[in-house]
Amino acid sequence: MGVRPQARAGEDMDTMSRLSCERAVRQFFAYLDRALSGEPLEALEAHLEACLDCCDKLQFSRQLDAFVKGRLGEAPLPEGVEARIRREIAAAQAGTSGSGE
Amino acid sequence: MQPGDAYPGTMSAADPDRGSASEPGRGFEELTLPHLKSLYRLAIRLTGSATSAEDLVQETYLKALQAFSGLRDPGRARPWLFQILSRLVTDRNRADRREVPIEDTHELDRFSLYDRIADEDPFPYSNRLHDDFLAQFQDEDVRRALLGLPEVYRVPLVLVYAEEMSYRELAEVLGCPLGTVMSRLYRGRKALERELWECARKRGLVKTWIP
Repeated sequence: MGVRPQARAGEDMDTMSRLSCERAVRQFFAYLDRALSGEPLEALEAHLEACLDCCDKLQFSRQLDAFVKGRLGEAPLPEGVEARIRREIAAAQAGTSGSGE
Repeated sequence: MQPGDAYPGTMSAADPDRGSASEPGRGFEELTLPHLKSLYRLAIRLTGSATSAEDLVQETYLKALQAFSGLRDPGRARPWLFQILSRLVTDRNRADRREVPIEDTHELDRFSLYDRIADEDPFPYSNRLHDDFLAQFQDEDVRRALLGLPEVYRVPLVLVYAEEMSYRELAEVLGCPLGTVMSRLYRGRKALERELWECARKRGLVKTWIP
């Protein structure tokens, strides 16, 4: 997990920026999804600079995200589906249901 | 969106003179069929079944065809199609009464799989405790955990995990503000963590029950 030779959570909040651990954790996923910017991003990064516990938790969240993505597996389009969709579109455009196929 | 509400653009479907950016017929297939593989990929991850996914995708295309003249920006065909498919899933779950009620969000917000693993310490001799915990799960466990989530969380999570969709695109697909997207993704991940913990508990890997 992440290693930062700084304070543990709750040890010295003055040096960890104004963001609490609870609020920092709530920003983790937006941070991992690259959806944070500006002041919220700066506040979180300042907190992470000072909080080893949150660094470890962030690293686990990152690991969990990669783990889930890696286990979704492939989902190739089965043969015949595109042809079926094309037929249904054609039938709908012709004003028929196409459900008899 | 409530059952029976119009799908995006549906209101103008029967009016070919409405002056939309898209054109019925050949234009529909050209604009939408390139997204068929992504739609199927999303559908199978939302339904867990190839048959259901095929039916869902087909229904999506038929809804999209009806609504096509309302698609004002052909460049937005992808989020538009994803939006139609997502709303069909929402409507189906509502109609089937299969949707899990959203649990106590306060409890969910505070759940931490990281802390649970550290507290219970299921591998006392491991120096890679959290890695070893995750290594216990098979692909099917993860897919089942995702399928166990309420649809309000499952849809955005799958769109992020499988399609790497941006928050802005997600807001468009889900029809909600960015803040709601962030909140659903946070709670969705927490709900997924709980599902994984519950899966580990059922296997006897951990003992702490989550009320």
